[in-house]
Amino acid sequence: MRRELDLSLLVAVGMAILFGITMIYSAASGSTLWRSQAIYAVVAILLAVATVYFPDKLFLDLAFPLYALGLMTLLAVLAFGTGDPARWLSLTPSGSLRVQPSEFAKITTIMALARFLGDRSSDHLVSPKAIGGAVLISMIPVALVARQPDLGTAVSFGAPLIPMLYWAGMRPLHIFFLIAPLLSVVFSFEPLWQDHAPIVFALFIIVSSVVIQLLLARLWVTLTMLAVNLSAGLVTVYLWANFLLEYQKARVLTLLDPERDPLGSGWNIIQSRIAIGSGGPTGKGFLEGTQTKYEFLPAAHTDFIFSVIGEELGFMGAVFVLSLFLSLIWRALYIGTMANSRFASLLAVGLGSILTFHVFVNVGMTIGVMPVTGLPLPFLSYGGSSLITNGLAVGLLLHIYAHRHDY
Amino acid sequence: MDPEILEDWGRRRRGLLVAVGLLFAILFLRLFHLQITTAADYAKESEDNRIEHRRVKAPRGLILDRDGEVLARNRASYSISLIRSNKEDDARSVAALEQAIGEPVRYHRRNANIRLKRDVDFETVAIVEERLRGDGHPLNVDIEPQRDYPHGDLAAHIVGYMGELQEDEAAAARFRYQPGDYAGKTGLEKVYEDSLRGIDGVRYVETDARGRIKNERPFPDRERAPLPGHDLRLTLDLDIQRAAARAMPDSLAGSVVALDARTGAVLAMVSQPSFDPNVFVSYREQDPRRQLIQDGRRPLLNRAISGEYPPGSTLKLVAAVAALEAGITDTLSTFAACAGSLQVGDVVFRCNNRSGHGELNLLDATASSCNIYFNHLALILGMETWYEYGHRFGFGIPTGVDLDPEERAGTLPDRQYHIERDGWVTGHLMNLVIGQGYMLVTPLQMARYAAALGNGGILVTPHFYGEAPPVHTIEGVTPETWHIVKLGMHRVVYGNNGTGKRSRVAGIDLAGKSGTAQKPPRLNDDAWFIAFAPFDDPEIAVAVVVEDGGGGGATAAPIAGAVIEAYLQDRLRRHPDMAAANDSTVSELGSESDL
Repeated sequence: MRRELDLSLLVAVGMAILFGITMIYSAASGSTLWRSQAIYAVVAILLAVATVYFPDKLFLDLAFPLYALGLMTLLAVLAFGTGDPARWLSLTPSGSLRVQPSEFAKITTIMALARFLGDRSSDHLVSPKAIGGAVLISMIPVALVARQPDLGTAVSFGAPLIPMLYWAGMRPLHIFFLIAPLLSVVFSFEPLWQDHAPIVFALFIIVSSVVIQLLLARLWVTLTMLAVNLSAGLVTVYLWANFLLEYQKARVLTLLDPERDPLGSGWNIIQSRIAIGSGGPTGKGFLEGTQTKYEFLPAAHTDFIFSVIGEELGFMGAVFVLSLFLSLIWRALYIGTMANSRFASLLAVGLGSILTFHVFVNVGMTIGVMPVTGLPLPFLSYGGSSLITNGLAVGLLLHIYAHRHDY
Repeated sequence: MDPEILEDWGRRRRGLLVAVGLLFAILFLRLFHLQITTAADYAKESEDNRIEHRRVKAPRGLILDRDGEVLARNRASYSISLIRSNKEDDARSVAALEQAIGEPVRYHRRNANIRLKRDVDFETVAIVEERLRGDGHPLNVDIEPQRDYPHGDLAAHIVGYMGELQEDEAAAARFRYQPGDYAGKTGLEKVYEDSLRGIDGVRYVETDARGRIKNERPFPDRERAPLPGHDLRLTLDLDIQRAAARAMPDSLAGSVVALDARTGAVLAMVSQPSFDPNVFVSYREQDPRRQLIQDGRRPLLNRAISGEYPPGSTLKLVAAVAALEAGITDTLSTFAACAGSLQVGDVVFRCNNRSGHGELNLLDATASSCNIYFNHLALILGMETWYEYGHRFGFGIPTGVDLDPEERAGTLPDRQYHIERDGWVTGHLMNLVIGQGYMLVTPLQMARYAAALGNGGILVTPHFYGEAPPVHTIEGVTPETWHIVKLGMHRVVYGNNGTGKRSRVAGIDLAGKSGTAQKPPRLNDDAWFIAFAPFDDPEIAVAVVVEDGGGGGATAAPIAGAVIEAYLQDRLRRHPDMAAANDSTVSELGSESDL
């Protein structure tokens, strides 16, 4: 049976991958990593196209079993993982071929979430049971990955939850109730706001309470939220002051201000910022990035590939890459509105949001607006597990597009 | 899907797109800020990362005597440095070096190039080059210039020495110096620092993150060659300097100064005890430095400009000039015969000759240095007139020699000075006139004084380098007065009762004045002698002081003679034709018959 391929999506992804291979060639010059990446790319594209031809019901039926499989591989990493810290599973005894199960588990978690939310009509989404179920599905892998420990990846598992709940029909105000305690933590975190922390936190508490009261006009809800937010904030303050050890605090503070430790943990972020800034409007030229070729920029071909783009191709190159991602995200959401089922629609939105999260966290890290985490830049960072997982994600989007008229 | 759901999805898609748009707006704005607004700053940081400025030190100028003999030069010294990597590897490399040379190494991991040890010997260089580098330690042997003073203590006080700048000193002059730099600390090394130092050059190398050089000359256009420092060709004559140092008794402290009597050019300046300035520029020796600083004999003090002594009888000529100008005396007049002592008020002043000199005129009183004669003069002169002439001879003020700011002014006390201390009595003037009391002078002031006496009252400015500063003529003294005083000084050396006979030098006619200064509570007297030569048209003026040396005529006069003899030798070497012209010694009688 002939299936219609979403060529615009495929072309955008192909451009991103080719661009990535080119920049890996520069970032790891003298090595053959770009060739390995090209091989992964072929596998990823083939997988993406193949996915189109799977039966439409397959993913719906396999959503929960695959989720279970994903959790098992994450448990296996905790038990037999290799690497330091242990994030990989070796497929061969020598460890020459290894995979990062957390990458695949991201997709299966989104599938399970799409299935769970898709099975419930939007009217049900005020029930604590439905919301609790969705949160639970997200939080189990988050907890498992956080124990590796890999905080960045762990948070990325939780990232699609809120957009998917929203897509499934949850009211924005209820979503606000859900994330308000998190916001309380952020707004009461003293190192972020320094002397202004009490004012910032007080403002947040007052404004949020007033808004809730105006929108709902139910005093008990307002007061409950006030109590929850206040205690979240106070617990944060208490934990920061009394619970964390000095070196742990120092680590957190360096995330916020890399200049505290310019030769240590602040090095990456400083060098990345210098690389991108020194690229200027048009860059230093392909293969001419001094931050890259003189090894000032660490992990240039993996987590900091965007810094190489910024340095060698400048603002133009950086804007081009971000525009490519914007079009991919826009395309994913567009496919979400064309899907033939709630499940498929939610799946597309979940994939779009995890892509957004990765791009924002990775690029944000390279330009110093987000802390350093080990999240790769999709399609561009070197790494087979990430690329093939993203190929699968693209495949799912292609599948949803191709099957949009099947009912 | 039914239209209602599609409509809802469409609405929610717009909601999500707004959220995505906001997130990307943050990224775009931040990128714009980094790559457009502040790109230049980061371009600079990126360049600072990979481009290392390497200073190319300008070779420091040499210090030479007037014949080109080298007093200060530069030699190569080897230092060991380490290319910084991580803390553990650095510690391992340092430990290997410590073990190889058997001494501890202190270091700071401040720069990419960590300096471990300066001025090491060849053995250490060999160990580093052949063994440690072979073992993979990223150690380097750098060559840097080090100051060297080949003549050691001979002219140490004049040349001075260099020293490592302290962190704050380097910071104060941070455009020219860096911490660890050496700069002139004393003497001419300090005074002429700016011209000796030259201007450092700069070159650039491109390195990677681990300090490995990727490009030796990334910016040939931006390199700047060092501008070498200027050599200092001094007025000093090492032959005379050597003769003066040799003539000084080794066991005693003191100073010898020889000036060109016409220009003030310093020909010799000895201060004893001396020291080896190499001790201060070495990176190795610390102990000898401390010893020198703590030595009770104060070898670091330049006694020629910083030693303040009572001048004793050498100062009597001030009163002689004053009295001749005031018409109080002439060559023939005498005062009451010297009986060995003179009572002024309640105080009895004694003469150096306890049995008395008898009746003396000015010339003989000068020759035999009769205190009583000059006491009589002083009584008539009065304090103010005497002070005025002392002041005209430049006492009580620094000479302005280019060894500032170490030079002391000495003390020329006036009436007020005494009133402020212990009240005025005429007895003070009795002491001052014979160079005692509160009167203090530096040997350099005395050499200039000797020159002025010899050359008809020209007060020169002593100097070591450069064009002669303008001279100043002492006003209001007639040529006759100068001639009479000169004759008196001639008689000191050649007269029958002259106290300075031991300064005589064959082949040159000279004049001088001895002094034996008491310096209570010390028991021994300081021996003084000042002299100029040749008598008719003086070219050299000398001042000698020997602390605890006893009689000036006995101890100091021969030293002055030795200096003048060396000058004479030197002049013969320079102008062989002049030998005959000055061979005839002016006889005592012949000279006086001019009057």
